[in-house]
Amino acid sequence: MADPHAGRLEPRVIPVTPEFPVRWDVPEDEHMPWQFDPMHFPNPLPRWENELWCEMANKGMSPAFAGYEMPIRARGKIFNDYNYAAMFPVVPPEEMEAQGKKAEVALGAAMASMQERWEGEWLPEIKEHLAFWDACDLAALSPEQMLAQYDATLERTMRLWHLHFEIVVPAYAAMGLFDDLYKDLFEDQGAFSAIQLLGGFDNKTLETDRALWDLSRKATDKEVRQIVTTKASSQVVAALAGSAAGQALLSALNAYLADYGQRGPSLSVYEPSLIEDPSPMIKNLQDYIGQEGGDPRERLAAQAEERETGLAKAREQLAGYPEKVRGQFEFLLQAAQVGVVLSEDHGFWIDFQSTHRVRMVMVEVGRRLAEAGVVAEASDAFHLGMAEVRDALAALPEGDLQGLVAERKADIDRHRGVQPPMQLGTDYGPPPEDPLSRAFGKFFGTPPEPSNEEGNLNGHAGSPGKIQGTAKVVGALAEAEKLQQGDILVTGTTSPAWTPLFATAGAIVTDTGGILSHCAVVAREYRIPAVVGTGAATKRISDGQVLEVDGDNGTVRIVG
Amino acid sequence: MHIVWLEQPICQEVQRVGGKVANLSRLAADYRVPPGFCLTTAAYGAWAEAGSGDWPAELVRELNASYAKMAERCEAESLQVAVRSSAIDEDGQSASFAGQYETYLNMIGAEAVIDAVTRCWASTRSEQVLEYRRQNDLPVDDVQIAVLVQQMVPADIAGVAFSANPVNKNRDEVVINTSWGLGESVVSGTVSPDTYVVSKSDLKVLEREIAEKEKMTVAHPDGTREVGVPRFMRGESTLDDAKAIEIAQLARVLEQQMGWPVDIECAYHEEILYLLQCRPITTLD
Repeated sequence: MADPHAGRLEPRVIPVTPEFPVRWDVPEDEHMPWQFDPMHFPNPLPRWENELWCEMANKGMSPAFAGYEMPIRARGKIFNDYNYAAMFPVVPPEEMEAQGKKAEVALGAAMASMQERWEGEWLPEIKEHLAFWDACDLAALSPEQMLAQYDATLERTMRLWHLHFEIVVPAYAAMGLFDDLYKDLFEDQGAFSAIQLLGGFDNKTLETDRALWDLSRKATDKEVRQIVTTKASSQVVAALAGSAAGQALLSALNAYLADYGQRGPSLSVYEPSLIEDPSPMIKNLQDYIGQEGGDPRERLAAQAEERETGLAKAREQLAGYPEKVRGQFEFLLQAAQVGVVLSEDHGFWIDFQSTHRVRMVMVEVGRRLAEAGVVAEASDAFHLGMAEVRDALAALPEGDLQGLVAERKADIDRHRGVQPPMQLGTDYGPPPEDPLSRAFGKFFGTPPEPSNEEGNLNGHAGSPGKIQGTAKVVGALAEAEKLQQGDILVTGTTSPAWTPLFATAGAIVTDTGGILSHCAVVAREYRIPAVVGTGAATKRISDGQVLEVDGDNGTVRIVG
Repeated sequence: MHIVWLEQPICQEVQRVGGKVANLSRLAADYRVPPGFCLTTAAYGAWAEAGSGDWPAELVRELNASYAKMAERCEAESLQVAVRSSAIDEDGQSASFAGQYETYLNMIGAEAVIDAVTRCWASTRSEQVLEYRRQNDLPVDDVQIAVLVQQMVPADIAGVAFSANPVNKNRDEVVINTSWGLGESVVSGTVSPDTYVVSKSDLKVLEREIAEKEKMTVAHPDGTREVGVPRFMRGESTLDDAKAIEIAQLARVLEQQMGWPVDIECAYHEEILYLLQCRPITTLD
């Protein structure tokens, strides 16, 4: 076994720059490898949300790592309103390998039982937490009950994030290990042949999208189509409500939102969910109404067929291989096929359904604080810390935190303009060369090779195909209006609420992510080219430029 | 007698089938030896006599029937066989002939078998073989050869074992070399195999040396193919103690039965140990 630490550099304290000042309030923190995560948290965050994601690392990731005997733990920390996380070893270097072996065994067992645990254990518990929130009439709670509900919400959300990592760690490990094994067995077959064997399974993201497609098929009435396709997305709901012919579609739209609208346009507790403000998805509905072909069911069936053809070919080639190879191939295939579905479904239930309910609790807290004049408006509560919110609730009707909120908001505005460094604290060199680190690299992406040609960008192969189109740089889902059929969607990252845009875009280029990232998974499902993890696409590319996207080689060429 | 089966007594006659096949035939009844038949020196003679390179029609019919019968015995629709040459003076006590003659693995169908046998026969005239014979003071004219056609074991693990340590000459040590896949990578030395030393008297594993096994030979529709070993199993031990002891025990029993220290080839398929070859160790003295 190769020494995982071989060739690693001596730890190096990363110099702090004046543009991004850091004060080490806890001296030890300077020795931690703080990592910025632009895929999930690209922007400065309001305090409450920021603390939530820090706690997610502390109380979600760490116990999940511990449960799988992994030699690392995680911590979150806020620097200038940006969220950073550190993964750090908890065993001395000489015990790393032995502990790593234990983790391999524990994760192997977890991979074997993911489906069973999802159905029998994880999903029922998730649904129990959601039901707890749904059973509560927040507006009717007494002040004491509200405080208790707030405490219970924090406790339950941390439990859900613990489950989240209990699910995703073996799920991504299985996909990564399968990809590794496949590449060992079948060299030179391109970036996607392993991934293709995991495609074509239904999941909650696709189900959500299918429901929207089906909704678009209901807009058959001429007047209704007129309203939906010509009004600005923010005015469609009101226009439908004011039209007799629009009632049927409006009620179908509301039914859709009740089932699938409990999520924000990105992973955020601060931004309104679609059920509160559906305009980001109205744009998708408008695009779908204009499309004739493109039934998502046909895409899924085609993917499933490709998968089975590819699988039959792989099995035929492996027929003469030792049983240990065939056994491992089948084991990891099965686990990775479960993993790829869970990599979407966990997000539907935890990242979105549960986060929406946590948001609803905070919206009510904010309403109460605003009503008492503690903060100016309900959404200001998100600018308080978790403990500050609790204290403010307990002190009601007294209190005035308006000054504090104003300061925090000004800080965020100021920090929005700075570029957060990818790493802070101490650099321990690249992660060790082991299967798990490779798997996570395939999700988060690793820094791309710098391109040596002017006008070219390197990233990772995300979804196969090569296409030319007009670039549209979309920073937030609300800006997606400008995306026209066949345009190349250039963005930092995508979240499940963006999925229907993949039916409009000709290709996707992102700053962050690897071949297993959500964006790459969805692009393959939509059969459009994707280059992910370019690091700088949104900065280097401007609206209207013509791009050539080569999803097989992970390169983007700015043609003109 | 152009074709004889391993379990027939006549198949133990060295002059007809060569030492390698005769040895296997002696063991076929008592050990798990894959079924097979041998094209005797007489078959080679009939082919050589014709001189054209073509097979006598009668021999083709006999081969077809034998292959069909073996497929039936193995309950295989498309039976995979190994075709190996067996020189008459090969596997004598004085020269091992290891690797001097052709082996064709994973042949499917009578036609492929006929082709492989023909190549074995033709190889008796190869410069490499003639040179080896000259160096070992063996006649270079009038070479006699037999060819074994045997069910192929699609090995998960394969290797060789010596019932005495050929390096330190210790007669109480069984030395085993194994690797993943078919035994060809071990026999031909293209992979550094795992090494196990087991004491013959009390069957204890004395040493284990696990190699980083980068290549393996696997069956492939075109025969065999040397491929990379997936990372997860390169540094894994091919044998656990139970398997090492099982192989050592086999080598010990065979040595007793044959009356000389043995050099065996063996393979595991679906956890069952098969004996593929057994010959004397030629380098102990």
